[in-house]
Amino acid sequence: MNTIPEQYDTFADFADGKSARLARVGVRLEPAVAPDRLHIGLPDGQAVVWPIEDIRQLPDQADRAGLVLSADDDQVSRLFLHDEAVIKALRGLAQNLHQRKPVQNKFRLFKWAIAAVASVALIVMVLVPVMADQLARILPPEGEKALGDTTYENIRTALNETGIAPLKVCETPAGLAAMRKILTRLNPDDDLPYKIQVDILDHEMVNAFALPGGRIVFFRGLIEAAENPEEVAAVFAHEIGHVVNRDPTRDALRAAGSIGVLGLLFGDFAGGTLILFLANSLVNATYSQKAEAGADVYAHGLMSNAGLSPAALGTMFERLRAKHGDAEGLVAHFAAHPALSDRIEASISAAEGFESTGPVLTPEEWRDLRNICGTSHIIEGTGAPTPNTVRDGNGNGTKTGGQFGSGNKLLPAD
Amino acid sequence: MQQDLDTEYAGRKPPLFWLAVRTGLLTLLTLGLYRFWMKTRLRRYFWSAVKPGGIPMEYVGDPWEKLLGFLFAVVILSFYIGVVNLILMFFSFTFFQNNFAAYALSFAGVLPLIFFAQYRARRYVLARTRWRGIRFGMEPGAWGYTWRSVVHWLITIVSLGILWPRMTFWLEKYRVDRTFYGDQKMHQGGRWTMLIAPMKHAYFGFGTSAAILFVAISNETPALLGLFVFTVPWAIAGLTYWRAHSFRRLAETKEVGGVGFASGVKGKQLFWTYLGGYTLVFLSLLGGLMLVFITFAAVFAGMFGIASIFENFEIMATSKQLPVWAITMLGIAGYFGMFLFWGAAKYTFVTMPIVACFAQTLRLTNPAALTEINQRARDEFAEAEGFADALDVGAAL
Repeated sequence: MNTIPEQYDTFADFADGKSARLARVGVRLEPAVAPDRLHIGLPDGQAVVWPIEDIRQLPDQADRAGLVLSADDDQVSRLFLHDEAVIKALRGLAQNLHQRKPVQNKFRLFKWAIAAVASVALIVMVLVPVMADQLARILPPEGEKALGDTTYENIRTALNETGIAPLKVCETPAGLAAMRKILTRLNPDDDLPYKIQVDILDHEMVNAFALPGGRIVFFRGLIEAAENPEEVAAVFAHEIGHVVNRDPTRDALRAAGSIGVLGLLFGDFAGGTLILFLANSLVNATYSQKAEAGADVYAHGLMSNAGLSPAALGTMFERLRAKHGDAEGLVAHFAAHPALSDRIEASISAAEGFESTGPVLTPEEWRDLRNICGTSHIIEGTGAPTPNTVRDGNGNGTKTGGQFGSGNKLLPAD
Repeated sequence: MQQDLDTEYAGRKPPLFWLAVRTGLLTLLTLGLYRFWMKTRLRRYFWSAVKPGGIPMEYVGDPWEKLLGFLFAVVILSFYIGVVNLILMFFSFTFFQNNFAAYALSFAGVLPLIFFAQYRARRYVLARTRWRGIRFGMEPGAWGYTWRSVVHWLITIVSLGILWPRMTFWLEKYRVDRTFYGDQKMHQGGRWTMLIAPMKHAYFGFGTSAAILFVAISNETPALLGLFVFTVPWAIAGLTYWRAHSFRRLAETKEVGGVGFASGVKGKQLFWTYLGGYTLVFLSLLGGLMLVFITFAAVFAGMFGIASIFENFEIMATSKQLPVWAITMLGIAGYFGMFLFWGAAKYTFVTMPIVACFAQTLRLTNPAALTEINQRARDEFAEAEGFADALDVGAAL
């Protein structure tokens, strides 16, 4: 027989929400006569009537065979239904089974959301950088050196492409001697409480960076991309500028503060470290642009005092800009450097009325420096170095790789 | 006198897995915002799977409430973490010349907070749990829990872990003695020494492993470490034995309003469930990776012809012919996909079966006393479990 029953009668369990007693109740549904209510007959003879439109089903329940129901206005009583037929009928009649409670107090939520964002922004953009600045100044030299050494080892390991051992340090004695000669010419010792230590890492990236404690790292790619030793000297001076201004130390301290706070906000969904990294990059970038400009200014001064043209910095940038393009807009913001054209201009204007007191390296020394990473990277035709002129293009085919860690690099990486 | 109430378990693997995957995906797509909904929905499923006397437990937590609590915690914690981390890093390098001290100090600075957050999280979860319509609850007492935890941990560490049962008992007692079901306060009886026996296999396993290590190092006979093959599995099995039997002893001595508890959970059960569970997780992860690889190969074949797969296997492996953005997208999708899959597989193959082990062997004694237990008022909890959410600690579920 296929008739739809006029009345459903079954037993179910009922919790009235006043005590932990479980009552066995009679449930009646009359779709034809009274489709708008569910009749619940309690064991003591009394009855509870639930309007059908108010009945809600508990969501995400494990037991698919049964149905746990509540009435919208009554928060605590529950009906535990097991009868298949009644459940089916009820699903057909009750339209609001899956309706959810509307969000309470949206305004309060909104208020706290704003507070949270403002709080994090305040800490990360203002409080932490200010404190990092103060602390960087009073960190003792031994502490800075230790910080630098630790970071150096981390970076070498991170950059290694073979993934087996940390990146090789280029140590050809003649090349190192040439580097030392450049350093002696620049003579920054009076400005620092510790000695500058320079390393060249065997990697094709065209970049150089400074670490806390006077450690400066060049990449082989930058030495290869330079056309004459004055350009290397200019980069060297720029990095020394970062060390003198305590930029790397400030950066490390600031990162320590920000990463913790940003980690709070994003939680650990699926190891959200990528998002964290991006967020940190963004914060980092604004900060470092001032640092780069400051290091440039120092470099111009140091070069002039050493009798070398500050324009060397500009010519290198010019060449690299022709190769990589000027990073404006969002990319510039991310890439932690002022727009290249500004820096080129600044470099050239610093060189106005300047007279050189002789080249910083002899041609032989320059060749030694270029081969510092061993014979596997000998550059063709390393004859006399080409003098400083503003020119385009210089195809050295280097792949610059990605960004890593914090700012204080010389140039943007692709 | 009514018979004891048995507990049914209604959880099933397929619906849980898909719930975890769906909610996990939404969490990713919303950059983590959906995680409050994900947790709530998963809890609803897990809670409703446990059915003492055939009536499911109920979780009534509200995701919006959780979100609000989280925002509240961020405001307070961002200051603490931002400033404290920075200062600790500074002192670490000033005095210790390395950053290990910074991490250690940072951890020490945050540790008390973790205990605080755990107590508050448990309080929130209990306050939003119901059975037979009656609310659970917990008294305030987070600071008391915090300092007690620190002290107990110190004692345990000083005793090289031997006094672990002592810490377990006293912290459990602190929590349980502040727990309510309806208007009745729960009570943890027994003495800490009753937890020594459940620890026996763990003591043996870890003890012998440590002894072997000591002898091997001082006599410089690394061959002795081969004995680890026996002692390490024993130690691990000892841990599951401890979990099962400490739960039993603690359950038997709990009571609320005259209702008691009994548990028949076995260490063996837990051990094989963990072993089997994690094996299945790894296998399914491998399966997933293979699927990704095959899809990748199929796409490649579709773009460049099937023969090229075999000819240019290296090229396919290094993906020089696909555009950079495609590689990046695949990489990111793969990375997040792995995490998502791992999480869902763990819930399905490990968490749920373990909960089932405990649930199915749980009995309520003297259930007649339940009729005397009345409702308690709702606990309006401003910050929900915000601190636990922000610090990423708190319940596994």
